[in-house]
Amino acid sequence: MVLAFFKGSSGDGDFEHIVTRSISMLADARHSFDLATLTLLTDADPASVAEDIRKTDERINEAEQDLRSELVVHVSVRGNADIGSVLGFTLLLKKIERIGDQAKNILELAEAGIQLAHSPEADDLLAERQVISALFAEASELLGNSDVGDDALSDYATRVEAIMAEHQAKMDGFMTSERPGKEVVPLAIYYRYLRRTVANLLGVVRSSSETFPHADYLDDGTVDTDD
Amino acid sequence: MALPGPIRSALVVGLIYIFLVGVSSLAAGIKIMGQDTQESLFSAASNPIAALCIGILGTVLVQSSSASTSIIVGLVASRALNVDEAVPMIMGANIGTTVTNTLVSLGHIRQSNEFRRAFAAATVHDFFNVLAVMILLPVELATGLISNTAEWISGQLVGSAGTEWKSPIKAWVKQPVSGLESIWDALGTSGNVQGVFMVISGLVIILVALAFITRNMRSLVADRVERSVNAMLSRGGGTVALLLGLLITVAVQSSSITTSILIPLAGAGVIALRNAYPVTLGANVGTTITALLASLAASSPEALTVALAHTTFNVIGIFILYIIPIARNVPIRGAERLADIAVERRSMAVAYVAVVFIVLPLIGVAVLG
Repeated sequence: MVLAFFKGSSGDGDFEHIVTRSISMLADARHSFDLATLTLLTDADPASVAEDIRKTDERINEAEQDLRSELVVHVSVRGNADIGSVLGFTLLLKKIERIGDQAKNILELAEAGIQLAHSPEADDLLAERQVISALFAEASELLGNSDVGDDALSDYATRVEAIMAEHQAKMDGFMTSERPGKEVVPLAIYYRYLRRTVANLLGVVRSSSETFPHADYLDDGTVDTDD
Repeated sequence: MALPGPIRSALVVGLIYIFLVGVSSLAAGIKIMGQDTQESLFSAASNPIAALCIGILGTVLVQSSSASTSIIVGLVASRALNVDEAVPMIMGANIGTTVTNTLVSLGHIRQSNEFRRAFAAATVHDFFNVLAVMILLPVELATGLISNTAEWISGQLVGSAGTEWKSPIKAWVKQPVSGLESIWDALGTSGNVQGVFMVISGLVIILVALAFITRNMRSLVADRVERSVNAMLSRGGGTVALLLGLLITVAVQSSSITTSILIPLAGAGVIALRNAYPVTLGANVGTTITALLASLAASSPEALTVALAHTTFNVIGIFILYIIPIARNVPIRGAERLADIAVERRSMAVAYVAVVFIVLPLIGVAVLG
């Protein structure tokens, strides 16, 4: 371990290692999201995936703590020259960690006995799940590409904001729905988790590419994408 | 300025050469002053407690034990100080250098928990150094343990005291020192006045060169430091932490840099006090490299002996206060208790710094010097 000091310089100063591990955390978060949503939207037994999702969440949390500690070390050793990037990465890591938590929340819905496989919205929900799962992959790609253009970011943001608006409209609809509470309350809660998941995905992409003060807000400054 | 690595490395080599010229100029200036002036200037150092206090004050003033111990080595090389007078000064320098990270920890004063952790991590270094002096200074005065050990090692390396060894470095720096003397000659100075100007030139060169060496080395090894601190945090034990503290300090030529890196980490809760403690001990040993380097600019075994006494003092201190498990907790508990007091009454933290690093040493010099 002392030999770590003598190893050749990696030419750091950039945050390649942090980005690589963040992408790996995002892959873990997607894995949890896919499992948890599939369990809730099909007749699968939640017990069969619970351990996997919880262990994955622990792994995400540990990675977040490790990387946050590395960022503190970076500032302590190098001073505040990279403070903007460090704050951006701290925020980014927190958002991935929250996505892991939201997958766990979805699992907990299934564990509480909620089954959406037979709800009238089942097909839409499964389609929605595919779209969101694909957003994880896109977020990883944008995160890993240091030369990503503004157009790609803007396109991603536009689509995510549209999904968030749609989710909000659905939640509002469930609030005033005539349908029985035991049908719409789980749906409203589920959409709430989905909305926070996609909001955090947008936050991940924005934290990696925008200056720190703007990362938490949409362009008009009215909608907080943090959770 | 972003310099390429090889150019920065070459710059550091050049700065080390300038630093050695500074040490040699200081010694030459003292020699020019003559025996009477030297005796009247350094008479205070004949009392070991006063010498200890001079070491503390001098180091607080220049904020670097590397600089103050190099100056002490230069004074010994010029025979203005003898080894017995210099050893307590070296011990004082060890205490004085801890003021920097204690001051850094005061930056966390607004957040109670953060400040408690940061202040404890800073003062554990103080506790170690003060306790080491409390134990080893009486032992040194009674038995000469440290100076005799250092003298023995020095004897093995370059010969016994009173002789002159042919340091190649001394020959390399001779010409610029003579050049500096010629400049002061040309400006019409002579005797004590010229000696004073040579001493001032030497001091300025030492301080400026060390500051630039530290700055450039920090930049050169930042990547390695970051990587090794991360490795230590994820899997390190006490010995690893101690060795890394030593390596980082040797690399950046400043224990203050190493220990000051730890304070924000401790404040943020990234490193626990118990894990920060061995890093500071490694830094204590690592910082002695500068005085050893300075002794190369002198052809005097005594100068090397004093530099080695600095290393010996810290190594023996580690054996007593870290290797022995029961003693290991004493500085840690002391620092934790002091941090609790400082959090309850923030003014106590400021008072602690003022009293330990300025008031008490000033009283010591005034009364005993």
